[in-house]
This record gives sequence, C-alpha cells and structure tokens, in this order.
Amino acid sequence: MFDVVPDRLPWFIGGPLLGLLIVGLFAVANQPLGASGAYVHTMGLLTRRTEVVVWRVWYFVGLFVGGLVVTQILRSGAEVRSGYDALREVFPLWATVLMVFAGATLLGFGAGKAGGCTSGHGMCGTAQRSPASLTVTATFMATAVLTTFVLHLLTGGDL
Amino acid sequence: MKLNLIGLLFGAMFGGVLAASNLHEYDTIHNMLRLKEFDVFWFMGSAIAVSAPLLWWLERRGIVTPLGGPLTLSRSRPERHHVVGGALFGIGWAVAGTCPAPALVMISSGAALGVIALAGIFLGLSLHSRQAQTSAHVGDGEHRSVTSGT
Repeated sequence: MFDVVPDRLPWFIGGPLLGLLIVGLFAVANQPLGASGAYVHTMGLLTRRTEVVVWRVWYFVGLFVGGLVVTQILRSGAEVRSGYDALREVFPLWATVLMVFAGATLLGFGAGKAGGCTSGHGMCGTAQRSPASLTVTATFMATAVLTTFVLHLLTGGDL
Repeated sequence: MKLNLIGLLFGAMFGGVLAASNLHEYDTIHNMLRLKEFDVFWFMGSAIAVSAPLLWWLERRGIVTPLGGPLTLSRSRPERHHVVGGALFGIGWAVAGTCPAPALVMISSGAALGVIALAGIFLGLSLHSRQAQTSAHVGDGEHRSVTSGT
C-alpha cells in the first residue's frame, strides 16, 4: 500500500534488529524466540491433545500478522501469487507442490526430532552458546548446502 | 495475559523483520544455500553477534525478568537426535526453501504455495510427536517451563 519498506532490507540492519529481538524476549520473559515450538503449541490447540502454552500460539499469530503488515501495508505491489518462482521455472506446478510438501514434511519432522529449527537452534540456541544447538546448526547447514548442490546438479544447473 | 501480548508483539516484529529482509521468498533461501548470495549468512551471523554477548552479559549480571523469573540460558549437550534431526531438517529446508517462521510470512505475503509448506511442517511435526511418545525433545531454543511468571 505505502512504499516505506525497501524490497530488501540490508542484512546489517535486519540481522542486528533480530538480535535485539532475541535479547528482548529473553530479558522480558526468559524465553527463546524459537518458531517450531509455536507450531507445536498451535497444533496442540487445534487438536486439543497436548498441554498448550497459549502465548506461543499468539506468537504464531504474530509471525503471520507481522508479515502481513510489512508485505501488504508497508510495501507496495503485494499480490496473490503462487510463490516459488525459481522452482516453477524449472518444474511443472504439480511437481513443485509435491516438492514443497515433501520438503516441508521432512523439515517439520527434523525440527521435531532436533528440538528446534533455524530460529530456535540456529539463532537463539547458538546465542546462548549451547553445544547442542551448535551441533544442530552445523548439521543442518551442511546437509542443506549439500542438498541444494545435488538439486543444482540433478536439474542440469537450472536450479 | 501480559505474556500473550508479548508473544503477539515479538512474533509480529520477528515476522516483520523476516518479511523486510525477504527471507520468506524461496529464491532468497535457495540462493543462500547455493552459496550464490551470502546476505542470509550475514543476517544470521550478525543477529548472533549482537545477541550472544548481550545475553552473556545479562546472565552474568543475574537479571530477573519481569515475566519469567531469573534469566537462565540453557546449554544442553549434543545427542544423537540432534544430529539426525538436524540432518533431516537441512534436507527439507533446502528442498522446500523455507522454514517454520518464514513459511507463515510467505503466506501473509500472498504466496499461495506457502499453505502447502505450512501443511507439510504441521504434518512433519505431528509425525514426530506420534513417534516420540515418551519425551518431547525440547531444544535450547524452544519453549521451556520456567519456575515463575508464566
């Protein structure tokens, strides 16, 4: 709507801002800013199975709302689209859907097993100097880069 | 109740930073993992470079947080499930080009396929919680119960 936020905020502004958010949540509530935990509690609320930490559900909602405010209000030219531009250029729609779904299921399972994701282990865990989080982060960075190169080779360099 | 508002607020700010940095786009993550653009590595690195020393300092001062009792940082030892889970997470992250927090921003930015990613993440997490019936592995970066204030 408005055109306040640039197409891509430089990393040296966004990164430190995120760092302050991590410190902020620890300083206010003694809690890390991990996102996969928010999924677990939101899922618990929907299925009414496990004990639900309600504020984690609000955090889940907040992620969506924050994205909405920046992309739809503070930035211009937002529209409904499929997303995944680079994948769609290489694969037909059905294959893209399949890949996204399979990849997301795998990352969800992995995050559950590891006890966190990019935000939980990758940033909040390493910021706490946790050996477990450092291990998880080093592992997923390595397999992610490796997998991307395999995809790159398999698609003959298209992806 | 205060904690709910804090959750919403920090979620919104985190989502806003992710959106502003374009981390909700598949292309951004893919170019990072293809080692074509290093912005996201710098982004993550500078977030840690800012938060790690501040957290260390706050811990050393022994501050008491208004909503969660005394500040406690957790430093668990690595175990097998960390490596296995991390490895699977990395493969999925590379294929889907998104992870839990940016997937939500992807949807709110209007990218319809983000819904597929969201459904997959939910499925994966529930498959895991079904498999691990004894104890949920709560990592150092995820929600923990604290003694007071919740």
